[in-house]
This record gives sequence, structure tokens and C-alpha cells, in this order.
Amino acid sequence: MSATYVYGVVSADAALPEGLRGLGPSGRVALATHGRVGAVVGDVPLDRPLGTRDDLTTHESVVDTVAGVTTILPMRFPAVVEEQGVVDELLAPNEEYFLDALADLEGRVQFALKGRYEQDVVLREVIEDDDQIRALHERVRDLPEDASYYDRVKLGELVVAALEQRRDIDAAELYERLENVTANVAPHTPANPEDVIDAAFLVDRNAVDAFEEAVEALGQANAGRIRLRLLGPLAPYDFVDA
Amino acid sequence: MTVATQRSGGGGYVERSGGGGSSGLADVIELILDKGLVIDVFVRVSVVGIEILTIDARIVVASVDTFLRFAEATNRLDLYGKGKGGTDLPGLVQGVSEAGAKGKTSGVLEAAVEKVEDALSSRREREEAPRRRPRQRPREQEDE
Repeated sequence: MSATYVYGVVSADAALPEGLRGLGPSGRVALATHGRVGAVVGDVPLDRPLGTRDDLTTHESVVDTVAGVTTILPMRFPAVVEEQGVVDELLAPNEEYFLDALADLEGRVQFALKGRYEQDVVLREVIEDDDQIRALHERVRDLPEDASYYDRVKLGELVVAALEQRRDIDAAELYERLENVTANVAPHTPANPEDVIDAAFLVDRNAVDAFEEAVEALGQANAGRIRLRLLGPLAPYDFVDA
Repeated sequence: MTVATQRSGGGGYVERSGGGGSSGLADVIELILDKGLVIDVFVRVSVVGIEILTIDARIVVASVDTFLRFAEATNRLDLYGKGKGGTDLPGLVQGVSEAGAKGKTSGVLEAAVEKVEDALSSRREREEAPRRRPRQRPREQEDE
């Protein structure tokens, strides 16, 4: 009766890549199958709680390395079950559900795209385009800091609102340009006023080159104004139901 | 164990990282703590700090601090080549360009995970990671 770490769920006939190293003391990563589905499992450290930097990156590394060769439904970190539970409670009762989800995602990978404005460039645009912001900006500059507190708050508020307006337009353009090379998209609300886009794209494996080229073209077209960052290929984290 | 990150073409206009262990910690946290399958049979294992980390990762700062930060950022732009814009605030430049809420959050996460590694940090220690005025912040309220 020992605890088992579960990285994700794959098809029972999936071949795991060589050289996977898990987060347990043995480092072992194996496939436990039931019917047509399998769980990518390993052991669990027993002498300490999970949650170190290594645990997190190892989980991601295993999941995304598997995703490099086959479709995997990633588990949310940390997923631990009793050894028998892997089959009895995880795979057997959910076999149909997992099969459906795997079929939906078959042959597809996720990319995460993040974009951020070059701050100085876009702030210049904002100031130049808006009379009210420009006037406040000039007034604040000529006042000592103590005397301008409320003006500065107001200025910042207007600037943030202007950035968000711009984001809507720019993000719409990015989404539109990527639409025909992606199978699905999960947009997230950017966490930051200067963020333009934060989205996960589901891409057919045979469209990966086209997708990457499209992103690169967007990076080039927006160079100097928006900095794009592309993460992937990844497991379809954003496209499995929690 | 990098997966298919080597790509010859591409003019390098887009910053790339592959999955499979080559991502930064903040990216990893965003992927694996917030998303993925959760099945109710999972044993509650003892996990340090993770619940709190998830909350931190979701904080979106839309506060007076944010507004002041952007006011300062515009203020240091010397649009007309005169005035007291940029030059007298050298220290601010880096602070502003990196202090996006995201940057800050990542910083907090890094700090938090380090603490976790050291085992069993108190939440209060982590509070001190970002340098901000101890005004009402959502995180503090959640933590008390």
C-alpha cells in the first residue's frame, strides 16, 4: 500500500520517451495501464512534503516531454493516489471519459503565447494621442511630488485605461492572424496593464511549423512595440477539463 | 530534455522556450498548479505552500500602486527633450520596467518557492519579498 504520483493520462499503447526522470526517490517513471488507457506514474518522496522548485519543474518536465511524443492529459500538480487506486479509482471508472478527452486532443499540442508592450513606445503613443493625459502629464511634471499625488493617481489611472483600450485592438489582431493555423484557443485576461496577450493555442502537430511561422511574422510585424514570447510545444493544459 | 526547441529558421523576433524542463519557474507554476485534471480520488498529500502560491499567482494588481507606477513611467519619458523627465530618476527606470505586476508576482513566487525549499516558511516572511508600501493589499487580507 504505497502512494503513487500521477503525472498524466495517456493511451494504453503509448510508448513513453526514454530518459524520463520523476520526482520520487527512485526517479522512476512508468506506465500503469487499464483497458485502453494508462497513467504515467512514479513514486513519491515520503520524507518531506511535495512542493519544492524541483518537484514543480520535474512534474512539468515529465508531462511536457511525454507530450513531445504522444497525447497526454496532464494532472494538476500534485496528484497522489494509493497504488491500487491508480487502476481501481482513477483509470477504471474514468476510462470512457479519458478516451474521449484523448481522442479530442489526439495529434495536437499546446503553445502559450504572451505579449507585452515595449513600455516607453506605447506610453509615448498614449500621451500623444490623448489630450487629457497629455495635459495631466505636463502638469505633474512641473509639480513637486508631494503636491501632485492625486494628479499622479489620476494620470496613472487614465494611462492604464488607455493601455487596456489599445490592448483590445492589438490582441484582436493577433488572435485573428493566428486563427487559421490553430485548432482552438483559450484566451486569458492579461494580468498586467502592459500585457497585450496571454493565451493558450491548441495546434495540430502537422500545423506546428505554420503556427510558429505565423507567430514569428507577428513578432516581426510588431517589433519595437510588442514583445512576444512563445512557450511550447506543451501538453494541452488549458484544454482538459479540470 | 528539451523538446523540439531547436529551430533553425526564424529571425528571432519571438522569445522561445520549449516545454519539457526548459521553462522558467513562473511559467511552470502557471501551467501545472492552475490547470490540468483533478480527480476526487486524490489523496491529500502534505504539500508546502502550494495553495498559497496559487492564490498569489492570480492576484491582479489594479490599485493605486499600479496607477502611481504608470504615472511615474510616463513622467520619466522626456517627450520634448526638455523638462525634468528621465535623467534625474535613474534608479526608477529599472524598477518601473520590471515592476509589472507579473514581474512582481513572479518575484514573489520565486521567493516563495525558495522558502518552501528551505522548508516551512511562514507566510509573513514572503510578504517582505516585494518592496511595497504596507498599505491595504488584497494578499494581506487573504493571509490573515
